[in-house]
Amino acid sequence: MYTYLRTGLRAALQSFPKDARHYQISFLLIFLFTGIFSLKWPIDPTQIFLTFFIALVVQTFGIIFLKLPISSLKSAFISSLSLCLLFRCDQYIIIALAALITIASKFVFRAQGKHFFNPANIGICATILLTGQGWISPGQWGSDGLWLFVVGILGFLVVTKANRMELAISFLVGYGVAQIIRMYFYQGWPADALTHLFTNGALLLFTFFMVTDPASTPTHKTVRIIWALAVGLLAFYLQAYKWVNGSPIWALFILSPLTPLLDYLFKGEKFQWTKPEQSSSNSSQSLATIIHP
Amino acid sequence: MKKILLISALVFMTTLQADAFCGFYVARADAKLFNKTSQVILVRNGERSTITMSSDFQGNVKDFAMVIPVPTVLQREDIRVVNRSIFDQFDAYSGPRLVEYHDQAPCNRYLYDDVVMSKSTTAKNATAEMSTREEADEYKVAVIARYTVDEYDIEILSAKESDGLERWLNDHGYKIPEGAREVLEPYIKSNMKFFVVKVNLEEQQRLGNQILRPIQISFNSPKFMLPIRLGMANGEGNQDMIIYAFSQKGRVETTNYRTVQMPADRNVPTFVKDYFGQFYTSLYKENIRKEGYNNVYLEYAWDLSGQNQVKCDPCPSAPPLYAEIAESGVNWLQTNRGNGYTGQLYFTRLHVTYNRNDFPQDLVFQETSNRAQFQCRYILNHPAQYVENCPEWANYQDEKIQRRRKELRELASLTGWDVRRYRDYPNYFQGYRAPQPPDQRTGWIEEPTTPNNKLISPKPKIMSTPPDKIETSQINPIEISDTIAPISQAEFIIDEEIETKREETKIPFAMIALTAITGLFLIHRIKS
Repeated sequence: MYTYLRTGLRAALQSFPKDARHYQISFLLIFLFTGIFSLKWPIDPTQIFLTFFIALVVQTFGIIFLKLPISSLKSAFISSLSLCLLFRCDQYIIIALAALITIASKFVFRAQGKHFFNPANIGICATILLTGQGWISPGQWGSDGLWLFVVGILGFLVVTKANRMELAISFLVGYGVAQIIRMYFYQGWPADALTHLFTNGALLLFTFFMVTDPASTPTHKTVRIIWALAVGLLAFYLQAYKWVNGSPIWALFILSPLTPLLDYLFKGEKFQWTKPEQSSSNSSQSLATIIHP
Repeated sequence: MKKILLISALVFMTTLQADAFCGFYVARADAKLFNKTSQVILVRNGERSTITMSSDFQGNVKDFAMVIPVPTVLQREDIRVVNRSIFDQFDAYSGPRLVEYHDQAPCNRYLYDDVVMSKSTTAKNATAEMSTREEADEYKVAVIARYTVDEYDIEILSAKESDGLERWLNDHGYKIPEGAREVLEPYIKSNMKFFVVKVNLEEQQRLGNQILRPIQISFNSPKFMLPIRLGMANGEGNQDMIIYAFSQKGRVETTNYRTVQMPADRNVPTFVKDYFGQFYTSLYKENIRKEGYNNVYLEYAWDLSGQNQVKCDPCPSAPPLYAEIAESGVNWLQTNRGNGYTGQLYFTRLHVTYNRNDFPQDLVFQETSNRAQFQCRYILNHPAQYVENCPEWANYQDEKIQRRRKELRELASLTGWDVRRYRDYPNYFQGYRAPQPPDQRTGWIEEPTTPNNKLISPKPKIMSTPPDKIETSQINPIEISDTIAPISQAEFIIDEEIETKREETKIPFAMIALTAITGLFLIHRIKS
């Protein structure tokens, strides 16, 4: 019994670093716990349960009927966590709808063999647009400088594992430089107003965990950088001139349909979560052989 | 133990001190400027905002003037002067409240069914006067419009640069606070206009208004915000503001600061009733200390739609009537007759204590679709009267003692009071006189000040025997006056210097976990 536990744990620890999604899940889980217990978000546990339940059920359908790998449940798990972190609603039916759209979008909006909307992103935006219910709460994270450090640095590690750091950087350049020029140099806001803006947890979460999603962004590297820059600039425009709250999320939603076009024009290497020689089916097999030698 | 709802009470009375709006006062002489507390009513309908500012000014009446940045050029009909009583009404309606429950005796049933409500309102007085001046042009300041609305003279200024605006104001006899130029600059560059208010002395005398009435402005703009930074140019230390927001869809929350719910629905000791004002101000300050100084606090949120019959539960005062809602700028309701109305309406009350360091940006709001209701309600549980020959009484007695200990712990955690002074409370059910709560400004008051406090000096009691056998006639009837708890809004102002270092104790859990995962990651990277 003990040996099984130990070998199982060792196998889990060994397979943990092989997939960047494991890190992502760990981070998002911590953010969710922090939000609930430390920042006192008014979410009731049923909402979280419902989000996960619907998302995982829809993903399971995808696995059965579309022959997706079982490990794609991890992606559904991440999408559910993102929904819980970013999307707020006080009605269960709307939450269920958001979870449904989130996962179903991966099967519906496909081009060149991949989905082009970030699942959680379209789940949030489409639900708000369709029903008028639900909202994004950019203020819920507060603006403690701690977030800048923790999320920034650790998010950096996560996305470098997924080789999509250039997306985060070019988004921040597009959004941040435009904001700094406008607020600090043109309008003359004091520096701490800027710090307050950039230490917002929602912005950092978006930068390091949403726009960097390797599955739904353009495959060609240079195109990808320009595309993320455009997302940043659009987010800046929406926030500064249209007073849209949670503008990065809307900017990503608006520019996501460009991805298939850009992919068509500029070919690149398609992203895979796990390297072929360490594919998840292999690793689960090896796990099985360790447990049952 | 079943309980019966008995009393719903308690009201907040605010606005005793000088009130200010988020704009700043400019004085013409060396008048002392007060800019400590303010109340604002926000109405949002699509892109139309209506802001009503309770502007009370104490000081030399000649020195009154106010500058508020606004996104558009206001027309004459966009500016109104409204009755101050709506603020008191909304305040009384939405303030923190106490609910009292009375236990049912284990072997008997007593029913209490009177509901006591209270309401207190207050009026303030302040007068101000000032005469209009002519504009000048070499300052790159344009006077776009000039109106006289009731007792106020209003000018809408457009400025090209903050230097010019500052000089214009100075040369026209206004005393601009130090540091105003830096604060004005971002507003000028955002193409905002300046709404300058003075009192027209003749009009004021003609109207006979002793009280400076609130000014209401309406404009169409996507900007749903309150420019608090201007008010901090001359505000010393912390300022306190209560925001009453009306919207159609649901709750209003801030998008660039956390909106945190106040702790509510807690069981607190019965003596809190006597000190509710101190209790709530202590609770508010303790909560700010725990949650952080850079948050906005939700104190009340309720669906006031016409079809919702329960407009408050319990009601410390009558819910707002159509006339008051319309006075505050809500124009989408249909009134049938009298004070009824139909249509969607949601009410939010936010409380914010702000200062320059913790609030570097203006307050930006959004309307959410959240219709969940919230109120700052605290619960008192009164013990039942003793019943003869009741086998269950001993159990009930133990239950009560446990409950009261819990209430004391709750009180300590909510307010930060040292509850050891109330150590007799769990065991004495009748005739207990609680000592005064500690006063945060004057330090501890060690001696109970109630004359009847001799009653607490007790000999040890054996708990298996009923300690609170008492004649019915000895039970004091509940006086309405007991339940009025006047709280001055000025009490919320934290006088002492706020430490710039915030409490970081709230995220150690996340820190530890994140560090562990990063460690794991780095170890793996180094190994491979």
